[in-house]
Amino acid sequence: MNQPELIEQLQQGDESAFKKLVDEYQDMVYNTALGIVQNADDADDITQEVFIQVFQSVSSFKGDSKFSTWLYRITLSKALDHEKKRKRKKRFGFVQHFFGERNEEQLHPPEFNHPGVQLEKKERANELFHALKQIPDNQRIAFTLHKLEGQSYLEIAEIMNTTLYAVESLMGRAKTNLRKELSKYYNNIPEQ
Amino acid sequence: MNNKEQINKLIEEALNSVDLIKQAEVKPYLLTRINARMNRETETAWEKAGRFIGRPAVAFTGLCMILLINAIVFMYNDSSTPASANEQVVQTAADEFSYTVATIYDFENSQP
Repeated sequence: MNQPELIEQLQQGDESAFKKLVDEYQDMVYNTALGIVQNADDADDITQEVFIQVFQSVSSFKGDSKFSTWLYRITLSKALDHEKKRKRKKRFGFVQHFFGERNEEQLHPPEFNHPGVQLEKKERANELFHALKQIPDNQRIAFTLHKLEGQSYLEIAEIMNTTLYAVESLMGRAKTNLRKELSKYYNNIPEQ
Repeated sequence: MNNKEQINKLIEEALNSVDLIKQAEVKPYLLTRINARMNRETETAWEKAGRFIGRPAVAFTGLCMILLINAIVFMYNDSSTPASANEQVVQTAADEFSYTVATIYDFENSQP
């Protein structure tokens, strides 16, 4: 079954087409969400939400862009919404902390270990993921799509609904800001 | 290698650490979990309302509100009934103007 057929069957509410869609795109959606939220359980939650939204709103997909582009956009929007909610909860958790209700995991989330990173690079990758959380959202998205998802600048431009030049600029600024964050981090490590 | 060079080396290593990253695997039975979630989300408004009211915090707050309203109504009724004063005024007026309510028995008894 080719992609237009799959979409047509999805628009008719075909459950077997939905199963095929989940099988085909689950890794893409999950890994994109994981790169943004940096938490396996949250990424799983977002993946479910994305497919539910796709099932409910596939009729609105007109085919103006590639199906994968549409899916990336939904995933990124859900992942960023999730991040905003988490930040709000974290602020509220800080207030709760004052009143004695402790939720340590919310205040100090555990360090993120991406399961796909090579063993000898784990430590550096953890530092990079930590620095990624400190840079603006659009730079983080461009960097994540390029480095973790292997998307070309042209594809990223399509997903982010912007120009190729803007993506090049975002990537340049992302790298500069990441260098700054990493430099701050390594300068503060006491010498052994 | 001085400290600055060492830091620059670490930064480059960190930036390149995800270059050959492999895809993470999704937990099994994703489709089953999606279907279960869709079923949960398509429950009727009454089921949602029932589940909301059934939550201990909501039920307890509701109970407290009912008790509070009862207490306020009881206190208000108790303090705002100096009824005897009103009754006295009505009685005085009735006495002064000889105003009485005639009942069917009075009509029957008025005949000799």
